[in-house]
Amino acid sequence: MTLAGPDGATDVGPQPRTPYVETASPEPHEPEDPDEPGEPDWVSDLSSSGPRHEEALRRLHALLLKAARHQVWRMRDQLPGVGAVTVDELATCAADDALVAILAKLGGFEGRSRFTTWAYKFAILQAANEVRRHAWSSREVCLPDDALWSDASAGPEQHAEATDLAAAVQHAMAVALTSYQRRIALALLVEQVPIDVLADRLGTTRGALYKTLHVARSRLRAHLTASGHLTTARGGTP
Amino acid sequence: MTPDPRRLTSTDAQRLIMPTDPWLSCEDCFELTDRFAEELLAHPDTTHLPEMLVHLHACAACAEEAESLIVLLAADVGADPAAALDRLRG
Repeated sequence: MTLAGPDGATDVGPQPRTPYVETASPEPHEPEDPDEPGEPDWVSDLSSSGPRHEEALRRLHALLLKAARHQVWRMRDQLPGVGAVTVDELATCAADDALVAILAKLGGFEGRSRFTTWAYKFAILQAANEVRRHAWSSREVCLPDDALWSDASAGPEQHAEATDLAAAVQHAMAVALTSYQRRIALALLVEQVPIDVLADRLGTTRGALYKTLHVARSRLRAHLTASGHLTTARGGTP
Repeated sequence: MTPDPRRLTSTDAQRLIMPTDPWLSCEDCFELTDRFAEELLAHPDTTHLPEMLVHLHACAACAEEAESLIVLLAADVGADPAAALDRLRG
């Protein structure tokens, strides 16, 4: 199965979203001291109005642009032939999107890290996604052909001879995974399609695809443990 | 004519059976990553948030973003991120 880029995306229907699960958190990070030089009270400044708010927005955007440029340049090798102007446009777009996301979630900042660290992660996420999407915008995404990978023709005799782990994993994929799990696992882990790109093409989310991977990996480990290829379901080899 | 089945490499196989327990979703990883990055940079041998290390070994996208955050934080304070990155990469 092949999924075209954004200009001709193939609709395979939305997949179930992974519900957000609250995790227990330890004690909050010591709040930043608003009186400490260089450590502004970001939440208060951003929640204010007038010039104070405008100045906080300007400072935050500068911070996000720094983080976005850092991320884009880390992934620069994924953008061969893309000029410096376009690279900087990607960073600016990511910083703009991160600013919107942060303002929408400002009330959720609990002071468990520095505000600047919290803000950085939004810019890094947006910038990484911008790079991955740009890098794959004109590329087709292949969901590997089941028939080529499932090795369904392998019977017990061939399986008994499959002494190396790779062959055992391939056989386990044929018998322990659904077609959807197999295609997703192969696309992400063998074909190396970025998870956000695949999520875009399938109309789903990074979290939902990772959940599919989690279930697929668990099934493979359980199968390989039962067949004696792993010592435990956690992945140790004999 | 039926094409020959493709074969997994050993590296492919290891990726396919990588442990993902204790479970942590990508959404929860994002929620925790700022605190985790600060903790790992300050204390590379930390035992807090073990589920983050499992997730970051198993999710390439989240791992790239966590590494990037650690490098950026280290640059801000003039610290060496090597030990934190070594721990992150297992």
